[in-house]
Amino acid sequence: MDSIVVRRLKKSYGRTLPPAVDLQEPFSVRQGELFGIIGPDGAGKTTLFRLLTTLVSPDEGTATVEGLDIVRDYRQLRTITGYMPGRFSLYPDLSVKENLTFFASVFGTDIKTNYHLIGDIYCRLEPFEDRKAGNLSGGMKQKLALCCTLIHSPRVLFLDEPTTGVDPSSRREFWETLARLKDTGMTIVVSTAYMDEADRCDRVAMMKSGRFLVTDSPAAIRGDFGRQLLAVRSDEMFRLLQDLRKMPQVDRCYTFGDTHHVVLNDGCKSAPEGIGRILEEEYGHKGVSVRVQPATLEDCYMNVGG
Amino acid sequence: MAAFGYLIVKEMKQFNSNRFMPFVLVLLPVVLMLFVPLLANMEIRNVRLMIVDHDRSTTSALLTDRIAQSEYFRFAGYCDTYSGAVDEMGMGHTDIIMEIPAGMERDIGRGEQVEIFIAANAVNSTKGSIGGGYLSSIITDFSEELAAGLYAPDAPVQASGQESSGAGAALSGDVIGGGATMPLTVSPQFRYNPHLDYKLFMVPAMMIVVIILIGGFFATMSIVSEKEAGTIEQINVTPVRKRDFISSKVVFYGILGLIAFTLAFLIGHFVYGLAPHGGLPELYVGAVLFLVFMAGFGLIISNYSDTLLQSVFLMLFFVLIFMLMSGIFTPVSSMETWAQYLTYFLPTTYFVNILRAVCLKGSQFSDLTFNYIMLSVFAVLINVIAIVTYKKQR
Repeated sequence: MDSIVVRRLKKSYGRTLPPAVDLQEPFSVRQGELFGIIGPDGAGKTTLFRLLTTLVSPDEGTATVEGLDIVRDYRQLRTITGYMPGRFSLYPDLSVKENLTFFASVFGTDIKTNYHLIGDIYCRLEPFEDRKAGNLSGGMKQKLALCCTLIHSPRVLFLDEPTTGVDPSSRREFWETLARLKDTGMTIVVSTAYMDEADRCDRVAMMKSGRFLVTDSPAAIRGDFGRQLLAVRSDEMFRLLQDLRKMPQVDRCYTFGDTHHVVLNDGCKSAPEGIGRILEEEYGHKGVSVRVQPATLEDCYMNVGG
Repeated sequence: MAAFGYLIVKEMKQFNSNRFMPFVLVLLPVVLMLFVPLLANMEIRNVRLMIVDHDRSTTSALLTDRIAQSEYFRFAGYCDTYSGAVDEMGMGHTDIIMEIPAGMERDIGRGEQVEIFIAANAVNSTKGSIGGGYLSSIITDFSEELAAGLYAPDAPVQASGQESSGAGAALSGDVIGGGATMPLTVSPQFRYNPHLDYKLFMVPAMMIVVIILIGGFFATMSIVSEKEAGTIEQINVTPVRKRDFISSKVVFYGILGLIAFTLAFLIGHFVYGLAPHGGLPELYVGAVLFLVFMAGFGLIISNYSDTLLQSVFLMLFFVLIFMLMSGIFTPVSSMETWAQYLTYFLPTTYFVNILRAVCLKGSQFSDLTFNYIMLSVFAVLINVIAIVTYKKQR
């Protein structure tokens, strides 16, 4: 059973501007699926969220969420979705508790009814219940925002870059919470800039210039990389990067952790040893190590459409 | 309507959690009502006067004494020549020059007319014209006293005026003591404000400023700041209707506006003795109509501004026009003709008319029908525009 069904969706903010979202192909998100969206800044992720949460109406095309049309049934739709914008947008001048109470009453419910959903997050916030939301730390703010989004037990959850600016341990905790929520049957759509997070999704869509370039499970996307990828190291890493980019066999080269990832040109299937020998003999690098690298999601992201 | 309740509660909590807003609510009417009317005073004192006395006689000394008795003038000194005195005025050492012609005493003794020349610095036009007016009326009094034989031989003295250094029209207040007795005397009686107290003119104006600032400004700023903070986004994804959201703000700040207005009125009543005959229904109907207008106006501003800064500048721009052009501070009748027509399009004009008439004259609804109708027309019109422009935003 599909939770979100998009047939075609187009939205531009000005006649002269290219459309922010321009989905030509239909796509759908299954109920209880954790669906990730990755893409560079300005790819149209936030606009897509705003369309699906009825904040803006599309220029062309339609979509349904839980069978409700995003234009026609927007009022009903708003009662069953939860949206957490990328920017902290709770009332900074109200306390933690006041914010939560307010958003509960907005949805005609109270904190007790859905405490089971937020309990394990909110228990961390309880010591600061009377603190103004604006005075919380970044991670605490995110936790509170998630609580306020979950307080009415939404059937579909939209999270726009929820972990940007949050420390690694809080991020891990956050994703564990998402996994638990997913187990309750909630559909979750999340955009992220972190590839390790995208790896945790059931399916991932790579978005660029308002379009989905690839939509598949992370494993399938990695498997479809289809090009020879090498991880290269030497004693002079910076010169190595410049030299690699000069080589005719190399299509792209970029730093990746403590190595350089090299994507070879399609026709060129030379073995890693061949590249290593050229580096040592022609460019005079020392301590060269070249090995075949299985593609990560980040490699796919770097090379898709780009 | 259930939404309305907790939205108001939310506004209240936000208002209370702000250390500074409740303070402003009380301080604004108190300061505006207690201090501004005292400061904005059209009475001129300490006008610096320089005398060029070519006569140097007993009569000229008497005249100088007579002027010294009034509390309006302060002597800036004597000068031998008129041109020297004008130089002094140019340096900013004196505001008014009085030139007494040579042979004044002799001419008065012969029963001839004498002209005394007054030149006023009209860079500060109020000081110039009012100071010049005071001086010529003192000279006129002096001339009458001479004529009545209080001092010595009777003879009229005439003051002729000139305002210099500014866009000065000739003084209009020159009164001529024409003969030994005054056949006609004017004794004006100023109704409703018998002492021509500028304070009483100002106090109702301050009550309007209070309503504009709290009822209009606060609501707009609160809507726009939610836009700026992104919280409106979070509200928009909930089932709360936008009209509930906005009306909760308008109603909440409207009530605050009325509280501040009441505070201002109480100060006006007990400190300045305003509205001795009641007229509360007249005042509050006017205030509510005006608040409805300000709410619609603020909504239009908030429709077109995305940041607080933008909305505050827009608000200030229009509020200044409202205040300066609607007769709050200066009478409409003394404006240019085109500006007088313009005032018909400013609802503040009608509200200020209502406030002044009720507070000073004790007017009732029947006396002010036109003003109430116009105020209602504007209130409805601006809210229609607000709703139309609001709908276009989406």
